[in-house]
Amino acid sequence: MSPAAGQIAGRRNPWLRSGLYLTLAVFAFLYIYPFLLELGTAFKTETDAVGNPTNPLPHNWVVSAFSQLGNQDFPRWFTNSVIVAVFVTLGRILFDSMAGYALARLRFRGRGAVFAAIIAVMAVPGVVLLIPKFLVIRTLGIYDTYPGLIIPLLADATGVFIMKQFFESVPASIEEAAKIDGAGVFRIFWSVSLPMARPALMALTILSFQGSWNDFSDILIAHENPSLDTLTTGVGRLVSGQLGAATEYPLKLAAAVAMTVPVAIVFFVFQKHIMRTGQGALKE
Amino acid sequence: MKHTRAFLAAAAVIGVLAAASACGSSAPAASSAGQPSKTPITLMFGSSGPAETKAVNAAAAAFTRQSGIKVNVVAASNLTQQLAQGFAAGHPPDVFYLDPGSFQNYAKDNALYPYAQTLPNAKDFYPALRAAFTYKGKFICDPKDASTLALYINTADWQQAGLTSADVPTNWSQLAAVAKKLTTHGRVGLVLDQSHSELDEFLYQNGGTVVGGNGQVDLDSTQNVAALSFLKTMLKAGTLKFPPALSSGWSGQAFGENKAAMDIVGNWMVGALQSDYPTIRYQVATIPAGPTGTAATLSFTNCWGVARSSGNVAGAVDFVKFLTTPQQQMAFSKAFGVIPSLATLQNQWQSTFPELAVHTKELTYAHPDIALPNDAQALSAFDSALAQLATGNPATILKNAQTNLAPLASQAG
Amino acid sequence: MATRQLALPARRRAPDTSGARRGHRARRREAAAGWLFTAPAVVALIVFLVVPIIMAAWVSVSDWSGIGSPFSAGVHAVGTANYAALLTQPGLPQQDLGMSIRDNLYYVLLVVPLQTALALLLAVVVSRKALRGRGFFRTAFYFPSVTSSVAVSMIFLFLFADSGVVNGALGFLGVHGPQWFTDPNGLLHMIARGAGIRPPAVLTGHGLLGLSWWDWLAGPSVAMVTLIILAIWTTSGTFMLLFLPALYNISEEVEEAAIVDGAGPWTRFRRITLPLIRPALFLVLTLGLIGTWQVFDQVFLITQGNPAGTTLTPAYLAYQVSFGSQQWGQGAAIAFILFGIIVIFTVLQRLVLRERGSVTQARGRGM
Repeated sequence: MSPAAGQIAGRRNPWLRSGLYLTLAVFAFLYIYPFLLELGTAFKTETDAVGNPTNPLPHNWVVSAFSQLGNQDFPRWFTNSVIVAVFVTLGRILFDSMAGYALARLRFRGRGAVFAAIIAVMAVPGVVLLIPKFLVIRTLGIYDTYPGLIIPLLADATGVFIMKQFFESVPASIEEAAKIDGAGVFRIFWSVSLPMARPALMALTILSFQGSWNDFSDILIAHENPSLDTLTTGVGRLVSGQLGAATEYPLKLAAAVAMTVPVAIVFFVFQKHIMRTGQGALKE
Repeated sequence: MKHTRAFLAAAAVIGVLAAASACGSSAPAASSAGQPSKTPITLMFGSSGPAETKAVNAAAAAFTRQSGIKVNVVAASNLTQQLAQGFAAGHPPDVFYLDPGSFQNYAKDNALYPYAQTLPNAKDFYPALRAAFTYKGKFICDPKDASTLALYINTADWQQAGLTSADVPTNWSQLAAVAKKLTTHGRVGLVLDQSHSELDEFLYQNGGTVVGGNGQVDLDSTQNVAALSFLKTMLKAGTLKFPPALSSGWSGQAFGENKAAMDIVGNWMVGALQSDYPTIRYQVATIPAGPTGTAATLSFTNCWGVARSSGNVAGAVDFVKFLTTPQQQMAFSKAFGVIPSLATLQNQWQSTFPELAVHTKELTYAHPDIALPNDAQALSAFDSALAQLATGNPATILKNAQTNLAPLASQAG
Repeated sequence: MATRQLALPARRRAPDTSGARRGHRARRREAAAGWLFTAPAVVALIVFLVVPIIMAAWVSVSDWSGIGSPFSAGVHAVGTANYAALLTQPGLPQQDLGMSIRDNLYYVLLVVPLQTALALLLAVVVSRKALRGRGFFRTAFYFPSVTSSVAVSMIFLFLFADSGVVNGALGFLGVHGPQWFTDPNGLLHMIARGAGIRPPAVLTGHGLLGLSWWDWLAGPSVAMVTLIILAIWTTSGTFMLLFLPALYNISEEVEEAAIVDGAGPWTRFRRITLPLIRPALFLVLTLGLIGTWQVFDQVFLITQGNPAGTTLTPAYLAYQVSFGSQQWGQGAAIAFILFGIIVIFTVLQRLVLRERGSVTQARGRGM
């Protein structure tokens, strides 16, 4: 049903409307409640966490889990995560939009082959290339360096696919007009097509940032020096290996909270942009 | 069109170059142990808890003060994986903990620097430990310490159940009876880790074996089936539980949180209890013998591995020399309760830690935990099956483990 | 205005009148630009996806032990020995592979339809104009997708603990919850046992890849169910976002006309909504299929393949066999077998969807 139909339906049938809100409320609860628990348990003692798991409010608020974590290298992990996420996102936006545009708009020999190759490559499970990717990283001499964390993540077939799909769905008439006016290919791309691509770029930005910030396995194999750990590998190593043998829920969830808060903040900031763009499209 | 072809060619060349440069040099050249340089060295280890981490860091700092060589200490969350990654990247740590199983793999590939037999204290180690780290007749790396499994008893629970020192179990039936007495609502009598490393001693106690004298795997014997069946009856009776059933990550946590009154576990428990569960009052007793009176337990050890491709082999060897001095070994013992690997320290250790004397006494009848080349998958499958012992079939479990492990015995060195 | 273009349904394309006008030189410039534009992405893909595939192919037919370079002199080719050990010779490697494929298959079969349906449902509900607090709901549903697998794994370890939140909630409903992470029983087996069905000998006697046919029909284990719930909870938000632009594009006039014509909600959904979300649906299904066969992080962090190998996946098995057991050749071979499985699934999916796509394309144009 379209948004409009819902409006009409709502007007006709108040039961449908309240049923709708009820469904939404139930789902929203299922999606939000675990985070409330995560936040609350991080401030509990171990006994409180195990004894009253369903109550997100601690019996006694303690910060022992966080101070335990404070003895770890959080600032460095955070900085590394930021570096990796920012560079990977910028790189992907630039390269993927260029490639997607070329595949959708520009005619060149081998275009079909490149696209087919991208589709084929998308089917390759990134995770099982961990070992050989690690060998390539090592061979290129970027193992245990920042470029080693960033450059492999720039290989993103999905992003190219998304941009290509988007450019294909937009009529070329404006670009045609610019071409007639004598603008060069790059100029058209930069000044005309790219601004039009804001919704797709927003989606790509969020996907890229999120993907690189949350990446675990690729970072894991690209380094061994603890000073290059990002939040994921730092916390992951902390809580999953021998150091995490005991089920210390407050500690583990405090780590989870500390990892989630930064990306949540960024998300909420960006969120307004998506909403604005989405509403802009709706107005017409 | 010219551009197109040029581009295709360029892309192809880049690809080929990347691949070709991967055809790197052969195995890293062995660095000679000349004068130790001041190049920093890395130590990677798998910690049993905060006590051990602290002790290792302290040892590294002391060595740095003495020698001027900086030591980068890395507590691995998964030592096997991180070590494998380091070696495969041509970037292994200089010094690292090495268990007997992994030792077989790396020794076979000539990745370890064989310093042990060149050091003056080569003869001072317990023979069993030395044997675990000898490959094709060459003593490669120094054992760092030893642990055995003993019976840990929560004395408060013990007294509460009206038990006395005369009731400390010395065989299986007594163990089962005492566990029953100690099982109350909210607390189980006995907890054991659900792994072959914590359960195999029952096989030996019943007269069976894991790896026989001829080096062959002999898991599916009738004695072994009977041993596992004994454990299964205890599981079904509810007097024995595995840690997950007690919402615990390992048996030490269950014991430390008083969810279990007894635990059969190794020396590393001491450090964990000191740092994480200091309020528990406990006693260490000799592990119960089997029904026919056969005494058996498992022993565990690691060695200080030195990578052949280390950038400062001399410095690394010096570090190991420092770590195996009697003073340093006793310091480790004080921190987390392990038995020093130097046999010459036995008396000193027993007089310093009389409450832990049980562990060394057991060394005389301790069997080393199974270690065969490339055994990780097979042992993991064995452990998965053991975790389901309560509802599983002991004969099938042992038969499958036998099938998977037997072929590996021929590759051992 | 440029923004007006965005409201058009995705399917309609402007007629391409450029061909006749362009000169030869312009075409060459365009071709050069085309290659230049795609170059960075293509090079990155070649170096970090294609070259590793080639290297993995070599490792899978070699006896590389993990020390030194795989191309060094001491490493020999062993032909198909690694593949044979995995596919044809009875033994632990074959059994582990069989289990990992079975476990991952149930995961895929449950996660992909459920997360797609849920994402679509949420998108439909959230896209209503008249909905108050739409932004709040959209955020709520998308937020789990934003968090990392490490954080989510910690949360789920806590939620599904034996005396944890989920079991507490089930207890409230009078149901005794299982031991989520340690119960290896497959759901289908439990249902069969409950119904008193015993497996016929033909199913228990024969099998594939070290597992009897009856074992193949075990269904996802209880532990696997937690991973499935985790996947749906985490990714439905992302896919909801992918459906939203298409739903926004549905023109009000068309809807109103359909309602006036007396079309019921289901008919409207089938005839108007479904054709317009088809590209998004295609994308979501493709991403879903590829993603579910790659599940690794959660297995690494939560279950490590336990209990009893019922949460093994080929991706995790390849990693474990390589880094854990140092059987690099076998690990690479598992990776290629997984690659083959994914290719088959992707091809099947494109075949199935493309046919239907062309039919509805025609229908769409007719409107």
